[in-house]
Amino acid sequence: MIRVRGLSKEFGTRDNGGGVLALSDIDFEVHDNEFVTVIGPSGCGKTTLLRIIAGLIPYDQGQVAIDGRAITGPGPERAVVFQNFALMPWADVLANVTFGLEVRGTPADECRDKAQNLIKLVGLEGFEKRLPKELSGGMQQRVGLARALAVDPQILLMDEPFGALDEQTRRLLQEQLLRLWEGQRKTVVFVTHSMDEAVMLGDRVMLMTPRPGKVKEMIDVPLQRPRSPQVEKSGAFVEIKEYLWENLRAMQTGES
Amino acid sequence: MKKRIVLDWGLRLAVFIAAVGLWEFFVSTSQNFLLPRFTDVVSALFRLLFFEARFWEALYISNQALILGFAISVVVGIPLGLLAGRFHWMDRVLNPYVGVLLTMPVAPLIPIVIIALGLGIAARVFIVVLFAFVFITVNTRAGVRGVEASLIEMAKSFGASEGQIWRRIVIPGAMPAIFAGMRIGLGRAVTGMVMVELILVASGLGRLLLEFSGRMQSDLVFATVLAVIIEALALLAGMQALEKKITRWAPDISIG
Amino acid sequence: MKQETVAKAAVKSSDARTVDRLPALRRFTRENATEVLALLAGAVLWEILGWSLRLQWLPPFSKVMEALAQFVGSGVIRANLGSSLQGLIVGFSLALILGLLLGSLMGRYRHVEKALDIYVHALFVCPSIVFAPIFFAIFGLSDASRIAIIVVYSMFVIVINTATAIRTVDPSLVEMARSFGCRERQIFTKILLPASLPLVFAGIRLGMGRAVKGMINGEMLIAFVGLGALAQRYGAQFDAAKVFAIAMVVLIIGLASNALVQMLDNRLTRWAG
Repeated sequence: MIRVRGLSKEFGTRDNGGGVLALSDIDFEVHDNEFVTVIGPSGCGKTTLLRIIAGLIPYDQGQVAIDGRAITGPGPERAVVFQNFALMPWADVLANVTFGLEVRGTPADECRDKAQNLIKLVGLEGFEKRLPKELSGGMQQRVGLARALAVDPQILLMDEPFGALDEQTRRLLQEQLLRLWEGQRKTVVFVTHSMDEAVMLGDRVMLMTPRPGKVKEMIDVPLQRPRSPQVEKSGAFVEIKEYLWENLRAMQTGES
Repeated sequence: MKKRIVLDWGLRLAVFIAAVGLWEFFVSTSQNFLLPRFTDVVSALFRLLFFEARFWEALYISNQALILGFAISVVVGIPLGLLAGRFHWMDRVLNPYVGVLLTMPVAPLIPIVIIALGLGIAARVFIVVLFAFVFITVNTRAGVRGVEASLIEMAKSFGASEGQIWRRIVIPGAMPAIFAGMRIGLGRAVTGMVMVELILVASGLGRLLLEFSGRMQSDLVFATVLAVIIEALALLAGMQALEKKITRWAPDISIG
Repeated sequence: MKQETVAKAAVKSSDARTVDRLPALRRFTRENATEVLALLAGAVLWEILGWSLRLQWLPPFSKVMEALAQFVGSGVIRANLGSSLQGLIVGFSLALILGLLLGSLMGRYRHVEKALDIYVHALFVCPSIVFAPIFFAIFGLSDASRIAIIVVYSMFVIVINTATAIRTVDPSLVEMARSFGCRERQIFTKILLPASLPLVFAGIRLGMGRAVKGMINGEMLIAFVGLGALAQRYGAQFDAAKVFAIAMVVLIIGLASNALVQMLDNRLTRWAG
């Protein structure tokens, strides 16, 4: 379980006195095997929040703990999927997928077997020897996903993973992620700026407000699992999406 | 497509023929008896390569300094560049000296090196290093700086140690720039080799050049110069082939 | 009357600038404290090593400065500097004109590019100094030799950068101009030229640096005039302090000419980040 209590984060305090308060007094929990999506206007600190949970940047105040242990840095129980894919351009698909395993000292043949399985799982069989530049954006992010899953983390942290993709590709990957997740049920924190994506994937949607970033509301998504793309037409889906848009619209135009 | 390539090489050949024609015309109309015909130069080159043992001896002597000097430049230049790229304070300390070394012509300092190290191979090697290493350092530094921050972050998210980040991310990421630096450095090393031999230490190819020009054998002078050019181009082509093989993932950057 | 006010305004603004300059200098020293300290430390180390080792090839830094002051005082530098700079200006101007012209043609016309690219690249990558004996054979001990050396040193990097700059101008900009009915000449002057300026200037800056090297090397190897001749003479006498002093002068020329190009660049390509 991820537990965040009273978390605050300020940027740029080193030189010029007044820093920017990126996150202020954040409280929330993510239960085991839960899929939480995080949405908010740009500048609400959702990516900062994710990077703090990943242990990539320090935080100023409050507590961030996983199963009761405070976060001090990256850990083997978490893996991150990055917005810009962060694939090593010099390494082929196989080597990119095995990266996390190798860094953790897994023996080479075990690395290869595990990676091979995941490459198959994300549908990239036969592309093992390709370089990232020879793949489409959607395929690149599937490599990123396979790399994160390869280390078999309890918690998957996804930072706008499909944000750089075109809509058709994005929807295909969403469907694939849904199927994968419903099979493995990992704990997921998924940052996005797409309302469809937030509702389609999440068990709960965390709505954030900007400047400083705060949690406005946690919204339950009462759609049954396994979900098919058809849920988009259901009343509950449309209702939640509209509710999100009302709130986000008000934040953007300054009427709240 | 194929037609285009034929046309391109036809154009290049036409330029070559036109240049040679102009040369021959220029020589036959000018009064300068020091100017050899193109055909004289080619035959002199032929004589040098196949009948003049001294040419190969000179080539061997010159290349000793070149290869040793270049090797030392690589061994010194790359680590310095890596350090300057990764540690900010190191960069700031090195920065003014790098600037001086980049702008300062080395040629006037050759006599000083000779007082210090004598007329032997040590002085020639040192001067080659002085000519070449700073370009390798500068490019290596730029390469390290250019490694995407998101890749380093990715490695950290998998718990990679500083050593692993260097080995797996920073050095491979900087490789194309390091190679570009070595290519420029190699060209500079050839310059250094020729320079020192022409200015003070009459040895190797430089000595041969001075001898020929003292005896007014300008066809042999031109042929020797041509041989040096061919060697330089061959070395650079070899370097580029190696570079392509090792950094086949990188986008083409062909600006000097 | 009107002119007077203009003149006054000019005086005022130049006053303002001199007042401004001091804090600017102070800011520079503060922002580059590490660099300045590193240079000072180097000078001090040089001085100490010079005095304690007493090697012929390593005169203390102060002796080098002394030699430099003597050169400047006696007018030796001024006489030789003039002749060196003359060659530099003529050679670099030639390289600039030829380089921009050839580069533009290669960037705009595919046939020209394909006809010349391998030669330009070969001449660019192969060490320019090897042409010294050839120019010596053609032009002898004349100014033409050293100017030719400066041209081969600096021209090709300008050609390559200019050609690349023009070839890589965003084609949608050219299309936009066409859609408004621009002619070839207008496309060149209104789109290609300004859009390629940053990269062209990068080439000019590199070319400038190489020209200074060509200048000193040519003077040392084939022309025996100017600063190069001076360096050659004191080098043959193994007078290290004087050689270092001349190297400093050449270094200053290099830095100053680079700053000049940089200034021009900043002024003309402000739009490029």
